[in-house]
Amino acid sequence: MTLTFSLETTNVELINNLFIYFLVVAAIIFFLVVFYIFYYLYKYNSEKRPDLPEQREGSVKVEIFLTSLATTITAVFVYLTISTMGKVQNIPENPEPFLQITGHQWWWEAKYPNSGVTTANQIHIPVGKKVLLQLNSADVIHSWWVPELGRKMDMIPGNTNYMWLYADKEGEYLGTCSEFCGQAHARMRIRVTAQNPKDFEAWQTQQLKPVATSENSNFIEGKRLFEQKTCTNCHAINGTPYQANIGPNLTHFASRKRFLADMKINNKENLKEWLEDPQKVKSGAHMPNFIFSKKELNALVTYIHNLK
Amino acid sequence: MSLYIKMPEENEPLPSLKRARGKLLWISSVDHKQLGIMYLWLALFFFIIGGLQAMIIRAQLSWPENHLVSPEMYSQIFTMHGTTMIFLVLMPALIGLGTYLIPLMIGANDMAFPRLNAFSFWMTCMGGVLLYFSFLAGGGPKAGWFNYPPLSEMNYTSTAGVDYYLVGLILTGIGSIGAALNFVTTVLCMRSPEMKLNMLPLFVWMMFVNAFLMLAAFPLLNSGLFLNLLDRQFDAHFFIPSSGGSALLWQHFFWAFGHPEVYILALPAFGIISEVIPVFSRRPIFGYKFVAASTVAIALLSYSVWAHHMFTVGLSNAVNSFFAISSMLIGIPTGLKVINWIGTMYKGSIRLTIPMFFAIAFLIDFTLGGLSGISFAIVPIDWQLTDTYYLVAHIHYVFLGGSLFGIFAGIYYWFPKISGRKLSKRLGKWHFWLFVIGFNLTFFLQHILGMIGMPRRIYTYPDLPYWKVLNLFSSIGAFFMFTGMAVFFWNIYTTLKKPRTVTSNPWNAWTLEWAVPSPPNLKNFVEIPPVHSRRPLWDLDHPDKPDKRLN
Repeated sequence: MTLTFSLETTNVELINNLFIYFLVVAAIIFFLVVFYIFYYLYKYNSEKRPDLPEQREGSVKVEIFLTSLATTITAVFVYLTISTMGKVQNIPENPEPFLQITGHQWWWEAKYPNSGVTTANQIHIPVGKKVLLQLNSADVIHSWWVPELGRKMDMIPGNTNYMWLYADKEGEYLGTCSEFCGQAHARMRIRVTAQNPKDFEAWQTQQLKPVATSENSNFIEGKRLFEQKTCTNCHAINGTPYQANIGPNLTHFASRKRFLADMKINNKENLKEWLEDPQKVKSGAHMPNFIFSKKELNALVTYIHNLK
Repeated sequence: MSLYIKMPEENEPLPSLKRARGKLLWISSVDHKQLGIMYLWLALFFFIIGGLQAMIIRAQLSWPENHLVSPEMYSQIFTMHGTTMIFLVLMPALIGLGTYLIPLMIGANDMAFPRLNAFSFWMTCMGGVLLYFSFLAGGGPKAGWFNYPPLSEMNYTSTAGVDYYLVGLILTGIGSIGAALNFVTTVLCMRSPEMKLNMLPLFVWMMFVNAFLMLAAFPLLNSGLFLNLLDRQFDAHFFIPSSGGSALLWQHFFWAFGHPEVYILALPAFGIISEVIPVFSRRPIFGYKFVAASTVAIALLSYSVWAHHMFTVGLSNAVNSFFAISSMLIGIPTGLKVINWIGTMYKGSIRLTIPMFFAIAFLIDFTLGGLSGISFAIVPIDWQLTDTYYLVAHIHYVFLGGSLFGIFAGIYYWFPKISGRKLSKRLGKWHFWLFVIGFNLTFFLQHILGMIGMPRRIYTYPDLPYWKVLNLFSSIGAFFMFTGMAVFFWNIYTTLKKPRTVTSNPWNAWTLEWAVPSPPNLKNFVEIPPVHSRRPLWDLDHPDKPDKRLN
């Protein structure tokens, strides 16, 4: 089930508005502080006023007035904070997520429980729908953040978090893992593709297709190598006995525009470079270097690149 | 008012490397002045190391896809940069100033527990040595300065760096607890008999309140560190979710220490500023009672704000609201202080000395850091901006614009007392302008970087719009700061070569440390001047219009 309702202000806009209120008030305070400092520095400089000034101890009235003023401003922002928080983070009692994201060192696993699609790194959402995200982690703490689509939420092993995601325009939205998660943290970027509902349905249908087959000899050789060289210990291919979940699910790998958590464009050259020496491409990555021969590389690339 | 004629004092110089047993005294001394100076040298030494790490970080981030350092090395460098600057630079610098000045400012001849004082110093020193020894033992810690498990657990970080981090910080923690005990006892028991608690100089008052913060905060940190050490070395599961532990538990331990720690590093700087601004405005502090009371308010509130570091971990809205309110409330006493400092300048006669320069930079940059801090108390804004460069900018505005500018003001202010020589004003101005301009260039831009989506702790970044130019200018600012620091070191070096010329009270200040020779003798006070108000030396200099008598 997908929750659908039209929104007057999106969560991101709510937060942006709040930030603007804050910025205006902060700027006024900051301006006043700076103004008075420089005004006093100028006016009460010892060169102008060499005489010993009057030794006064302060004014209780001023202190009480300014404290009350500060308290009033604070009260306003407490109200704004709590009301906005309730609007942005209102998770139903029994959340039914549209999309389950699991953070791994260093990639994103994405599952669509309604349709059964499982993919990695490539995250598609329909435009104009507020979708509920479920966030988990498979290893260390990660943090999901696509600034234009919603808040940031940590992915903590052992905990499950939820948040809303909403895109009002079609397009690609960039984000990033925001909690330091180890060596390749910088390479754990997010790309969300927001599509109109029709395209999104088409994408889902395509993702549900059985795994591709081919009579091409290279493809068959690649498939054999994929199984023999223990790739299947980490990577799942739907419709086969291989259902490991250490690395990304590769059933429709070739349909993704980018791979390695948005690091590289998904083409044969980049894939070959990656298979040849994973550490060289993405330092710290958990994929071992299998020291493939040229022939094996070609076969594997042909195989993986036909998994559309 | 009693008649007071100062007795001539014999000049007994402090231990010096050049004299007999001088070298030994650098190891064995229990004199608070000697230890205070040693704390300051320790802080300066680690500041060079931490500063060079910062330069590597900025060089690496100068442009996209830079490969100056490997990602693995980068993790170690930013972890050690944070750990070093907080535990081995700001802490020893502030504790050092306290150790040197508290007895002098309250008319005592030493701390309450001189040997504990030495023990605290050597613990801190040993902690620092162990932290850096990690580089010889297979690599430094690399899970960030707040060391979140499960990343900091054996499964994900198997090099010994994290173990050295844990043991090193346990030692510096013990050192800080010892120093805090000493501060509390010294202020309570060693004051001049005439000095009531409401007559304490504000620096002493703030160090006193601060000591209670340290006494409660560091045991929390140390217990957390011990638990993590048990996890790593003895296969316990405190923070390992896959075997029943909780990754969040560490965050509660760490931030229940970590947020008071922010104030532990800020309050002494507030104290320094509260001494410097009145002296150079030639007026008593505006609203002593409010400044003193707001310090207590900050200290108490600082224990109920820690979860604002955890607004994105998925706590409920109710919990978040509580911590949002307390975090915003803490802004009120802090803001009040800024107003009081500015109020002190009102109708004063302001002398623009280098300490005053830094105090003014403090006022402006700390206000900016404080205001950006409020934006993290506004939970939805925190949800967007936490763990980005906006946050990096904020902590640097608080720790540099706040604590470090305070320390600089304090060092320029008390350097004549400590060494008997004034630091050069000309070089001081160069230091000031290079550092302050560089600082604002580096860190102001980082606010914007955070807003456009740059997360912290990334060793490189894709070439997205504006990221390159903002990062490049940020790095250029770092270079200005670096040059400024070089000038500062040169200033210290050349000044220390000059003969001692400073009289006991070069700034016309009012607190008791200025009653003794510069530098003070081994025995601080032969005779304590009469203390009847918060400004005993003012009363002596102006017998016709003394401050209101408080005892």
